[in-house]
Amino acid sequence: MFNLKTLTMAAVVASVATSAIAQTQITGSVQSKCSVHTDTQGVYVNSSPNILSTASTGGGIAPRVRFDVALANNYNAHVSWPDTFSSSPALSDSVAWSGSVEVGQVSDPLMSAYETSKIVYNNTSVYDLTIAGSTWFKVESTATYGYEKSLPGGNYTAIVLAECIAK
Amino acid sequence: MNRFIILLSLALFPLQVSSHEMTPTYPKFKSSYIDGVLTTRMRLFNSRADVDYYQIDVFDANWNSMPFATTNRVMGISYLQTTYFDIYIRDLDEKQAEYICTTSKIKKDTTATTAISSRICSKIK
Repeated sequence: MFNLKTLTMAAVVASVATSAIAQTQITGSVQSKCSVHTDTQGVYVNSSPNILSTASTGGGIAPRVRFDVALANNYNAHVSWPDTFSSSPALSDSVAWSGSVEVGQVSDPLMSAYETSKIVYNNTSVYDLTIAGSTWFKVESTATYGYEKSLPGGNYTAIVLAECIAK
Repeated sequence: MNRFIILLSLALFPLQVSSHEMTPTYPKFKSSYIDGVLTTRMRLFNSRADVDYYQIDVFDANWNSMPFATTNRVMGISYLQTTYFDIYIRDLDEKQAEYICTTSKIKKDTTATTAISSRICSKIK
């Protein structure tokens, strides 16, 4: 009889415990977030004596940067091609800079509209990240030294700026 | 299909990830333990192997620098490390302060010929 009572109590406790487990919930939330990924560091090539360029036609490598946004319409991407060397040998003449930024690969086909709706000022392109997901941006940069002067020998570095700014 | 390929690539090549991430997107200031000073806490994640330092800035709506206090304005953060930092501003600056930004600091001896500097700015609510 005692054993029967014990078993009954155990069954009741097990039943309560089972219902408690059944009611366990998993909750979560998706928060707004932007991350900037350096996909490819670029390489300048001295295709002509007075030119350093990332153009693939001359053998250079264009830097690529990826923006991931978790929620749509929370961020703007500002991508700037360089307009100065961050380090270089001593230069006695001016450097003329040119460049471009364009949308490369996208995780959502609708993101291809970013390219047509971008705003360009000076050396910066601004993209309104209206769709959640990943967008790759390809940056081209060319530095032309003086008037047909050869660039001095040494190492040259320029910096691409990739900014993700909350709206 | 594109999303599947991207997710698969990220799963297969996780070591290639190199990113700068800061949250929250819309921080809110609250009272600190100092009278007349507000504070908020930010989270920064560094998965850029080429970056060890990030600079913290606070700007107004016209991108003018605002006075603020924090432990280190240029803080060291190792690869794959997450860190939290507190920003303090005067309560009289609360309405003008618009953005909290972190900018990656590129090493001078970098071997890359085009380095990428990343900056993420959260908007103060």
